[in-house]
Amino acid sequence: MSEQVNSKKNGLMEWIDKRYPWTDFMRRHMSGYYAPKNFNFWYFFGSFSLLVFVMQIVTGVWLVMEYTPTADGSFASVQHIMREVRYGWLLRFMHTTGASAFFIVIYLHMYRALIYGSYQKPRELVWLIGMVIYFMLLIEAFTGYVLPWGQMSYWGAAVITSFASAVPYLGDIVLVWLRGGFSVSGVSLHRFFSLHVIAIPLILAVFVFVHLVALHQVGSNNPDGIEIKNKKNAEGVPLDGIPFHPYYTVKDLVGVVVFLFVFSIVVFFTPKMGGIFIEPDNFVPANPMMTPPEIAPVWYMTPFYAMLRAIPNKFFGLITMAAAIAIMFVLPWLDRSRVRSIRYKGSLSKIAIVVFVICFISLGYLGHEAVSTLRTIMARIFTVGYFAFFLLMPLYSSLEKTKPLPERVTE
Amino acid sequence: MMRHIFVIFLILFSAQVWAEEVNTENLQLASAPINQSDMASIKRGAKFFSTNCMSCHTLIYLRYDKIAQEAGITYDKMPVNVKSWPYGITPPDLSLEADIRGVDWLYTYLHSFYVDKARPTGVNNLLVHNTAMPGIIMPYQGEQELVANPVPDLFNNIQWYDAVKLVKQGMLKPDDFDATIADVVDFLAYAAEPFHQEQHTIGWWVLGFLAFLFVLMYLLKCEYWKDVKKNNDSN
Repeated sequence: MSEQVNSKKNGLMEWIDKRYPWTDFMRRHMSGYYAPKNFNFWYFFGSFSLLVFVMQIVTGVWLVMEYTPTADGSFASVQHIMREVRYGWLLRFMHTTGASAFFIVIYLHMYRALIYGSYQKPRELVWLIGMVIYFMLLIEAFTGYVLPWGQMSYWGAAVITSFASAVPYLGDIVLVWLRGGFSVSGVSLHRFFSLHVIAIPLILAVFVFVHLVALHQVGSNNPDGIEIKNKKNAEGVPLDGIPFHPYYTVKDLVGVVVFLFVFSIVVFFTPKMGGIFIEPDNFVPANPMMTPPEIAPVWYMTPFYAMLRAIPNKFFGLITMAAAIAIMFVLPWLDRSRVRSIRYKGSLSKIAIVVFVICFISLGYLGHEAVSTLRTIMARIFTVGYFAFFLLMPLYSSLEKTKPLPERVTE
Repeated sequence: MMRHIFVIFLILFSAQVWAEEVNTENLQLASAPINQSDMASIKRGAKFFSTNCMSCHTLIYLRYDKIAQEAGITYDKMPVNVKSWPYGITPPDLSLEADIRGVDWLYTYLHSFYVDKARPTGVNNLLVHNTAMPGIIMPYQGEQELVANPVPDLFNNIQWYDAVKLVKQGMLKPDDFDATIADVVDFLAYAAEPFHQEQHTIGWWVLGFLAFLFVLMYLLKCEYWKDVKKNNDSN
């Protein structure tokens, strides 16, 4: 009986495999993809990002079923979702919490790459594609935040689109082109809706796929930053590698459950996160006649917003903000270190990372707070610190004394 | 003529000085003693709201037809459609007020009305200076007067009950009044998030399920990773 079932199943797989390389594909990318066996805590965040991405798409599909993308109907339709749609509040809170969770896991994922040198040769493209994903994610988050059409949605959109007016000569034309009018209006809302649900998710899906293709071409880095492909056994299997499936799939499942536990605490018990994930002013419908006392973007954009506000000149502020993101793209060519991982780099690199993290988090905090003289001065200092981390990297990474690399990965 | 201008100037100026005396910068919000799972309290609050507040304030996102009809208020009797509100301020819709201001703010606001003869309504408020809202609360709470120099606590905070003093008790004793206002705030919290209770109930089940799943997944992981551990030792 069981043999019959087995042969039937194999027959089906054979039928499929003749027409589509299912088994080959799974072997190549799952059970035959060898990942270093010493992945630690930081290596969970790639899988988490993928999970949150899928979760955002699924909840997003259901939200769009009840959402109205017009200036008159948008705010009320969100309340309709929250109140009259069965479990609508759950879908929406999963989506709003998912947006913040996405940035938390992405920032930690990027931090992992930073400390273990996962952007270094030959993984430059993995990093670059990842940076494109991060940039698209910022646009996706911004366009999504406009959709509930509350006060913060409206004025956030007004402030962020107004950046375009700082472009010399063409500024005003670009501004009108972006907004679809002379001010942010229902027309802007409608186009942001289109970008948020169709254009950017499609681009994201493609780049996530390409990110994985590039990763599987070069293989995963590890906390020691040494190449596991250099030591192989007779069958050509890396000695320090283990098949991604089943070892890392089951390990990631444990991580996913822990992640979902923390995620659920937020979704079910504190979805507004005290005004950080959903700002209180966004419960007031958009009113073009009334500017809220403080306009602050959501937390994941505040580091860059703090830089913008720290520079007195709007145009140079904008250039600084753009440069802060742009400089991350060239990171692979700034690091001249002989080793990848922070474990074997010298003390200069270690200090630099600590300074960078302090600067980034402090800028995030400052961008969230109201402007004051002291805060502006601090924001300037942290902006300098942020850029110094990148611009001085060619110096300190090549000058410092590194520790000798181990032959094989350590535990 | 000059004398008139001088008098007007004096009034304006003194009002300015006086307004500055009410230092609400340090006013500490009272912690609202509400329980969002207490349906009885929410219902009491709904009753109070429908008899006292609903003649001016809407709750457009809460399906309130039923409450309104039970209280004898129908759409045509509600002055929501008046062309011009006194002082040009439309009473705000309150369906999301608890989300916008927070329950502590609402609880403090409804406690901190005081008599102010200079206002056309005869009342003023500690949190919203020159509020357009009339003294609807006053018959219940009684008349409060501003304390000239409220004494801040160690952390330079002032509580609403330090800044105003009850001079004539209203229909309700202070304790009963507190409870009534807590009910109203509880109701407004419900109006902002009618899903709150369902959210928490499901939340506990989800967390319980995930905790159980964690044990299973952890055991599964250990079972698979035995091989890796064994290999490590033999290497």
